Amino acid sequence: MTENVIEVDGLRKSFGDFEAVKGVEFTIQKGEIFGFLGPNGAGKTTTINMLCTMMKPTAGTGRICCHDIQSEKSTVRECIGIIFQENTLDEKLTAEENLMLHCKFYRVPKSERNGRIEEVLRMVDLYEKRKDVVERYSGGMKRRLEIARGLLHYPKVLFLDEPTVGLDPQTRTHIWDYILELKNREGITIFLTTHYMDEAEYSDRIAIMDHGKIIALDTPDNLKKMIGGDVIEVITEDNGKAIEEISQRYGNDVKAKGDSLAFSVKNGSEFLTGFVKQMIVPIKNISVHRPTLNDVFLNLTGREIRDEITNGTKKPKFGHRRF
Amino acid sequence: MEAIFAVWQRDIIKFFRDRARLFGSFAMPLMFLLIFGVGMNGALSSMFSTSGMDQFTGFNYVSFIFPGIIAMTVFSTSIFSALSVVTDREEGYMKEILVSPVSRTYVAIGKIFGSATVAVIQGLLMLAFVPLIGVEVELMNIIKLIPAMLLVAFTLSSIGLLVASTLKTATGFQAVIQVLIFPMLFLSGAFFPLNGMPGWMNALVKVNPMTYAVDMFKHIMLDVGSMNEVLKQAMGLNLKLLGHSVSTLEEITFIACIGALFVMLATVFFNRSG
Ligand SMILES: Nc1ncnc2c1ncn2[C@@H]1O[C@H](COP(=O)(O)OP(=O)(O)OP(=O)(O)O)[C@@H](O)[C@H]1O
Ligand SMILES: [Mg+2]
Repeated sequence: MTENVIEVDGLRKSFGDFEAVKGVEFTIQKGEIFGFLGPNGAGKTTTINMLCTMMKPTAGTGRICCHDIQSEKSTVRECIGIIFQENTLDEKLTAEENLMLHCKFYRVPKSERNGRIEEVLRMVDLYEKRKDVVERYSGGMKRRLEIARGLLHYPKVLFLDEPTVGLDPQTRTHIWDYILELKNREGITIFLTTHYMDEAEYSDRIAIMDHGKIIALDTPDNLKKMIGGDVIEVITEDNGKAIEEISQRYGNDVKAKGDSLAFSVKNGSEFLTGFVKQMIVPIKNISVHRPTLNDVFLNLTGREIRDEITNGTKKPKFGHRRF
Repeated sequence: MEAIFAVWQRDIIKFFRDRARLFGSFAMPLMFLLIFGVGMNGALSSMFSTSGMDQFTGFNYVSFIFPGIIAMTVFSTSIFSALSVVTDREEGYMKEILVSPVSRTYVAIGKIFGSATVAVIQGLLMLAFVPLIGVEVELMNIIKLIPAMLLVAFTLSSIGLLVASTLKTATGFQAVIQVLIFPMLFLSGAFFPLNGMPGWMNALVKVNPMTYAVDMFKHIMLDVGSMNEVLKQAMGLNLKLLGHSVSTLEEITFIACIGALFVMLATVFFNRSG
């Protein structure tokens, strides 16, 4: 039997005239990892804020573990754990003090406190630094501590709002190993937003949000099937002209993806041979691959999942340094 | 309930960790003691001696101002401590507290306890000046002083929390508190005896809760019983409300009532602001 842990219906949020969330609905089952993807400003954090009782919805309802997010706030709060997108540690306190306070707020049994604190600190590799004031941590260490804290009280539902931003790949893998283990052991349900494709792949189902609406909701595999066939990625001498040429000749919907162009075709390798011969605009580079979540995302929103990350790395690459 | 303790404990840990704040808290009182205490003492005693009024021989401005300085410390520390509520909100930690199942009322009470405790500690630290300025304070009086400080600190901490709950930014909070605190300090009898004031100012003095706090502190710390009437009058130790001499018990009751009112208001407003 499946059990709905999160039920959302017609949830809306307006800030003045601006409607950030325009009526979303979905249900999430126990033990599921639910990925919530969308470009910057899509309304992901706003949705999370409403679900975790930090923001009053303008309209609609939400239930977590069968408790209403508006009328049963404190029961909902007991069921959930959240790792906010921004830093919410007390930097003047040590790691250990931060975690101990969390145990007290969440009424973790006294006898379990020290054990759990050690467990989560070891998971994020901060046990040796537990007596250091958080102020002296690096950005990545702070993030790791924040994640450790969110897991401390074994929440039934865990909200992760871009949990691993700024962490190195090794740490991310390490943290995900722990999250997945905890999920299996404790049956935690996870609500995840991320801009990392590989992280999104952990999801059992994915909702893609844009401009306050959910525009697709399915398993990662089904979402990829939506693309149909294979994805061709091509870099040409003149991408502007190439878009025109491709859409005129093949009637394909071409999307710009960084420096290259991407579009989907039924059978990639077959298509390729003819395509290379026919193109008038000179081709610099071409590849064909099975659809990824990034392609799905690009297709639906016109932007890449990793939008902000590529933008972030572009700056130092192309920016001129002044001395 | 443990959450109240946790919120309180966090404030206390942070207070002792912040050395700069700890030492900085001595700066203002020291300045007041030096400038007013030393400066005014000379001026006043020369005035009294030339006018040949020997009833004033017992007058010592430093011992007059010292209870006021302690009151000022307790007063401003407790009201300013609520700044942490605003900075917690700005720095994000308030989210960690508010998303937890802890009731907001407990958080508010923990905060008030925290501010009040810190204020009492600061007030007691001011006693470090005692040997330096040559006033005498008996141990018994210090013991009496602690509950009095606690009472005043509670009241002012809740006023601070009330302001913090209604304002969004740290600068806004500081501006409002500053506007609140200075008239309350200067019209309380802490720095000069409240004699011969125009009616409107006298009215302000009498509605100022700080007036009763300062008077209470003075009665605890000064040996009022051995003073003659003229000296008492000169030191402003004859607080009257509508022609009736205010007793210490009445002062305590008054401050406690105001305190209870503001604890309630602060809790309600803090609850709403979340
Ligand atoms: N408190 C607020 N007041 C006014 N507008 C807000 C507020 N919070 C969010 N918004 C607006 O609502 C929209 C959605 O914001 P939200 O933070 O939910 O986006 P997001 O999907 O989490 O984006 P990101 O990937 O950048 O985190 C944005 O346009 C944002 O400017
Ligand atoms: Mg967000």
